[in-house]
Amino acid sequence: MWSFLSFLGLLLVTVVSAISTTGDRLLVILDDVADKASYSQFLGDLEGRGFTVAFETPKSESLSLFRLGERAYDHVVFLPTNSKGLGPNLTPALLLQFINQNGNILLALSASTPTPVSFVSLLAELDIQLPADRTALVVDHFNYDTASAADKHDVLLLPAPRPSRSDVKDFFGGSSTSLLAFPRGLGVTLGAGELLTSIVRAPRTAYSYNPKEASEAVGSDDLFAAGEQLALVSAFQARNSARFTIVGSAEMLQDAWFDAEVKTVAGATAKTDNREFAKRVSGWTFQELGVLRVNWIEHHLNEEGVANMSNPEIYRIKNDVTYSISLSEYAWSSWTAFAVPANDVLQLEFSMLSPFHRLPLVQDAAQSTAEAAVYTVSFTVPDQHGIFNFKVNYKRPFLSNVEEKNTVSVRHMAHDEWPRSYAISGAWPWISGIAATVAGWLAFCALWMYSAPTEKKKENKKTQ
Amino acid sequence: MRFLQQFASALLLVAAGTAQAAALWGFDDASVSVIAKKAAEGGSKEKFSQKTPLATPIALGSLDTLKVLLTAKDDGSAKRPHQAFLVLKEQASGLEAPFPLTVKENGKAVVQISQKDIPVQLLLSAQPLRASVVIASFGATQGLNTPVFDVQINKDPNAAPPTYEKPLRYGKQPDIHHIFRDGPKSPPKVVSLFFVLAVLATVPALFIGWVLLGANVNHLTKALGTAPLSHATFFGSIVAMELVFLLYYTSWNLFQTVPVAGLVGLVAVFSGTKALGEVQSRRLAGER
Repeated sequence: MWSFLSFLGLLLVTVVSAISTTGDRLLVILDDVADKASYSQFLGDLEGRGFTVAFETPKSESLSLFRLGERAYDHVVFLPTNSKGLGPNLTPALLLQFINQNGNILLALSASTPTPVSFVSLLAELDIQLPADRTALVVDHFNYDTASAADKHDVLLLPAPRPSRSDVKDFFGGSSTSLLAFPRGLGVTLGAGELLTSIVRAPRTAYSYNPKEASEAVGSDDLFAAGEQLALVSAFQARNSARFTIVGSAEMLQDAWFDAEVKTVAGATAKTDNREFAKRVSGWTFQELGVLRVNWIEHHLNEEGVANMSNPEIYRIKNDVTYSISLSEYAWSSWTAFAVPANDVLQLEFSMLSPFHRLPLVQDAAQSTAEAAVYTVSFTVPDQHGIFNFKVNYKRPFLSNVEEKNTVSVRHMAHDEWPRSYAISGAWPWISGIAATVAGWLAFCALWMYSAPTEKKKENKKTQ
Repeated sequence: MRFLQQFASALLLVAAGTAQAAALWGFDDASVSVIAKKAAEGGSKEKFSQKTPLATPIALGSLDTLKVLLTAKDDGSAKRPHQAFLVLKEQASGLEAPFPLTVKENGKAVVQISQKDIPVQLLLSAQPLRASVVIASFGATQGLNTPVFDVQINKDPNAAPPTYEKPLRYGKQPDIHHIFRDGPKSPPKVVSLFFVLAVLATVPALFIGWVLLGANVNHLTKALGTAPLSHATFFGSIVAMELVFLLYYTSWNLFQTVPVAGLVGLVAVFSGTKALGEVQSRRLAGER
């Protein structure tokens, strides 16, 4: 009975901890713990997915992201706070350290509360620019909710976000008809770094302005950014795959905008898709989506009639070799077979200093299962001896980084591995030369020993 | 009946269209001029309206300034809008650069653009840039977003063209296939066979030459009669040594070859002293 109970408990633990690949301790930071009521559905969804949610205010004495040098929480959600700074417990250096220790952060900004200085310098560190005056508002006079913002145009209605590149997996887009409400939000501009990706961009006619200073008209000096340069929801994935997401409008996570009724400029009424979008954005940030795992890597000699050992440490030049890698992707609650997005390829590099081969890996259906996809490629080792690496360097937007390196030696041909000289037609005259010499030598020996003098010679001798 | 229904619905649509058109942002008195830096070169000035965009692209030299003037109108009356942008768009990639117009209270708006204001990604465009005017503001009046003219960027042929390095983006990289060195080559087999025959032909040529000179093996019976064992083993050991070499070529390694070659050599030395002694005795007897 007891063992059954403990087994049940173990099962419960695995079910609950299976929610995120990096842990379930979630900290929500807001001004007043009572404020959480307006985010009840968002936070309820997180708890429903298995997160243990704790609440703190920035001023709290007990607040600490670390305990004994280790992370005290796995994920942090920052909801807008009115305070100018965030206090000594949430300095930019501590937040960076949190990211460096694989912690994930979801940061919700708002146009109605100025962004704390702590975040301004943290974002500057990540090459994300906020509007200079810290209170900016994104408006679009062409895509707004006529029901709630007929005059101010500050509730943007956005179509379902789509990836800007065709080779990126679509994690955030819902159905093509769904609409996102983006009320009173802040837009940021992203630097040119490869770790930054925008999830939702502003429509082409949107722009950001300061409502206090440029209330009459936007001049060329006041304009921070406009059009698709403005990122409304953007993501940063560090090299250690820790994730940092900025949602420009905290209001879009509030209950009021989950499944709210909105009316487009064209006059159609629709329900917002904010709840689903909030689920996807938080799920991606907290490592429930797009997490890749390498199950195993195997390479072997692919030649007939030779011992077929797995992962040998040495190959010979011009050997035929097969390489396989098994990959799984985490999707919400379970590991699934990882399918490379359309238009994208998983590539294997065989490199010494620089790659000699860079070949596409193709999924092998025979070895793949529902939990793991096996990708494989066969190729010929280059005719250059040295220390080589099998390298899979798969870094893509929104997918956790895969960087696998297996080192092998490549030796040159041994003296007895070359083709024999009789197999080379150019050597035939030389071989026949040896045969002629041998025949001549044997005949000479026989003649020298057994030849009788001729009569002619005798006569010659006599005359001498 | 059905036609009537369709007609009625079309009529309704038109009515709705006119109802919406009642509150529209627009512009008037619009002109675009290119001001050359040197007054002598002059400039050009063309008028456009929101309905009729200019058909020919406007050329913008490296030192010229593009000046756009217009009067914004809210439903026909001049008014200042909150958003008045001239947007330049690179047509291949869809990249856009907004240039806000400076608008006065009476709706008169102006913007001046020179090549140094335009982002480098747009400057490098092969096609002309498409310029559109966006005028919109708060309230119920519908905004205007319409293309008005194209801008052809003429770069300074004397100056170095602006360079732009694409930022790194994670994605697939081009395939690399190692190019193997050329393998060793042999001449055509016909040539090899010709020389094989030429080399082998020397053996009969040598034998014929010897025979013509009177070579024979007439003393074989005499030699075998005097020292049969030593002659057989000596000549046999010479043949055996060649066989050892043949085996070394085909299958043996050095460790197998050396002892056997030593053994054969020893036999050749011992039998050779006897056999060659017999040959010497024949010479001393004057038979050679």
